[in-house]
Amino acid sequence: MTALPQTLSGWTHAQQLDVLARADAARIKAFAEPLIADLPEITVIENRTGLVMLPMRDTAQGTHFHLGEVLVSEAHVSAGGQEGYGMRRVRDLEAAMAMALVDLAIALGHAPEACAAFLSNEARAQSEADTETLRKVEATRVDMETF
Amino acid sequence: MAYVATRGGERAIEQSQRLFKAEMGEITPERVAEIRAAMPYLIDRVMGEASLYDEDLAALALAQTGGELYEAVLLLRAWRTTQPRIAVAEPVTQEGLFTHRRISAAFKDIPGGQVLGPTMDYAHRILATEVLDGQVHRPDPVEPAARPSPARQPSVAAWQAENGLLTGAVPDKTVGNDIPDVTREPLLFPAKRAHTLQSLARAETGGVLALGYAAQRGYGQAHPTVNELRLAEAEIVVTHPRGTQFSAGRVKVSQAEVVDKKGDGLRLGFAATLGWNEVKVIAAATLDLNAEGAPKGAPTEEEFFLYHTEGVESSGFCIHFKLPHYVTFQSSLDAMRDAKAQKAAKEKSPEPAE
Repeated sequence: MTALPQTLSGWTHAQQLDVLARADAARIKAFAEPLIADLPEITVIENRTGLVMLPMRDTAQGTHFHLGEVLVSEAHVSAGGQEGYGMRRVRDLEAAMAMALVDLAIALGHAPEACAAFLSNEARAQSEADTETLRKVEATRVDMETF
Repeated sequence: MAYVATRGGERAIEQSQRLFKAEMGEITPERVAEIRAAMPYLIDRVMGEASLYDEDLAALALAQTGGELYEAVLLLRAWRTTQPRIAVAEPVTQEGLFTHRRISAAFKDIPGGQVLGPTMDYAHRILATEVLDGQVHRPDPVEPAARPSPARQPSVAAWQAENGLLTGAVPDKTVGNDIPDVTREPLLFPAKRAHTLQSLARAETGGVLALGYAAQRGYGQAHPTVNELRLAEAEIVVTHPRGTQFSAGRVKVSQAEVVDKKGDGLRLGFAATLGWNEVKVIAAATLDLNAEGAPKGAPTEEEFFLYHTEGVESSGFCIHFKLPHYVTFQSSLDAMRDAKAQKAAKEKSPEPAE
């Protein structure tokens, strides 16, 4: 019987994936590469670029329509009865593969402390970048008065 | 039926392409990176019209075509056909947008307030000619506020619906591959709303502006006021093989609602596109607002504006007229000469009086 996939303590699977998909490309590649040696034999199911169609909801009538397609890189791997999956924006097959390997390592319960530390650092960097952007946006707030 | 053969065509075509490319010189990774970094709004425009979001590919298309926008968009649309469609993401909602700019010209006190975001709306337009004299033009840095703006902002339209000003939007249960797609099925009239909005999302900016402007100047049935304009980033929410939904990253989107009075309520026109391009979405939303009941042949009639703002088809049709039409044109000349000869013959020998 195959064991259930694991997640990091304090994280949901969705949170892990959100952070991995936005993680810095050079850092996730550097983090994922040494994981390979200690994982069971890996089967690469998919590693390709492709398109994701992005629909939007119209606020006038509520209709769903297609905005256009986004180029993504995808990787899908399996090992030890678990799957790892990566999908990231832009044309970078290595970064997508790195994401899939980290996802796989977490699912197998491999190197949980290192994975948690990596995800925490990336989540912090992403949150700080968003805050910095939004502080600049807030600087453009206007209040209007009628005279 | 006749044909005209061209001698030396292959060599001439090859040399003409070399001549076109010679003006641009080498295309290097550094040039592509510089175009991407220095011209984000041009990149956005090209991505929106190409209906393909990737800044690197858009920058490469611009570098390869020397900035000939129709060629750049065509190149990207052609490249797109080489890629498999892996998934259809979850629909983006207005409330879920990571918002950089959000303004309303209709209501000053919208829920969440107004943030100008990146804009040159209130700037003096002064060309920085000192750069041509060897100086560097360094923009002043933004002075960030102490606290961040909320990443997500409520919907003005939903607030209006709650206050009885608008009929609320009806939830659409169509998702994934069931959403009508003009890249996979023909555009027929009257068009499905999903086709109309998708066509406007990928329409050529100048064409949309020309027809939207015509409607705004009075050749339409409704006068638009911007209800809400947003420049934002949308999450691409996809599904992991285990069923977990997650964001594969963000893309820039623009969205506009325009509003007009209808009876004792308001009605909305809507448009959105990939990338930040607010002229396009305001003009497109104006066309959407005016489409209902527009007379046949008016710039605001759906068939008219959807057919005439498709940039790849319209530019392709336009430039095909410069290709050899020798046989058909010769045929027109023959008919013209024949008519002239018949007229001359008639004038020479008038019919006898009865």
